[in-house]
Amino acid sequence: MELLVKARDRFSETEIDTEIVVMSLGSGDFFSLTGTARAIWELIDGTRGKDALVTDLAASYCIAEDEIEGEVGAFLDQLGRAGLLASG
Amino acid sequence: MRTGSGHAFHYQPGAGVTVESSSEADPAESALWLSGSVYAAVAVLNGFYPVHASAVAHNGQVHAFTGPSGAGKSTLVAGLGQRGLPLFCDDTMLLDLSDPARIIALPGHKRLKLTNEALALTGAAEQEPVGSDTGKSYALSRAGTAVQPLPLARLAFLEAGATCAVEPITGGERLLRLDDDHYTLAYYLEARQPRREELFKLRTRLAQQLDMARLIRPMDRGRFAESLDLAERLVRGNGQGVTG
Repeated sequence: MELLVKARDRFSETEIDTEIVVMSLGSGDFFSLTGTARAIWELIDGTRGKDALVTDLAASYCIAEDEIEGEVGAFLDQLGRAGLLASG
Repeated sequence: MRTGSGHAFHYQPGAGVTVESSSEADPAESALWLSGSVYAAVAVLNGFYPVHASAVAHNGQVHAFTGPSGAGKSTLVAGLGQRGLPLFCDDTMLLDLSDPARIIALPGHKRLKLTNEALALTGAAEQEPVGSDTGKSYALSRAGTAVQPLPLARLAFLEAGATCAVEPITGGERLLRLDDDHYTLAYYLEARQPRREELFKLRTRLAQQLDMARLIRPMDRGRFAESLDLAERLVRGNGQGVTG
């Protein structure tokens, strides 16, 4: 199982109001994370892979795992393409 | 710093600014540069953070209005002078960020630069022309000027719209709005050459410590009093319960 790990040396993040704002140090691009995107970001702590993340997120939102699996995967791909994830 | 009109400005800490002008250069324009771009650049070199904004003082705090050239910053603060709110600065606002707990603004020039139309709208006291071809005159605020450094309460972004409204700026947009400053930011970047991470931390601090709002109003002289009412309520009411 590949653990999801943030590439902490490649971004800065801060919390403003209810949003987490992440800036890629490489590109200077900003990412504003709210709602489920924020929840996913916070679950990426190096202790779980994609499947466990989907399980925990589904439990938090009282929703079936297969309903969110695709969107979570797409979001993780986005984070990866932005250089915000490291190999676990 | 060199202009395209025959002026050059040299700054040396401790020695001040030396102005070099060609024989064809307009002397009045030199003063304009000194009070604007050179002022901002020297401030940056001395550790201050410049914001392209005009501001008034109220109850020991500064209320600033920012926007691109032509957005109506000077006209608005001149109009607020008519409502008894003293001028704090015009066009360039310097921030002292040395105290991590608060953002202190430094009082700026004592004179506004206004077009004839703005003079007529605001009743500001006209003085001599600003340069030979700017179409503006120096003017004094009817409410005088604030002379003490004061905490910055709010940064309001001036926007044009069909109706008057004040909308709070929240979340990540607070950071993004700090990225759309104009020549002042360019000077800061040039002089300090901050790493992306440093700039992010600086903007995060400003975004977390400052109240930010957009002040939307029609760019219509016939409705200037209406937009002035809204701006005055924003300042005097400290932003609480203000709607269009």
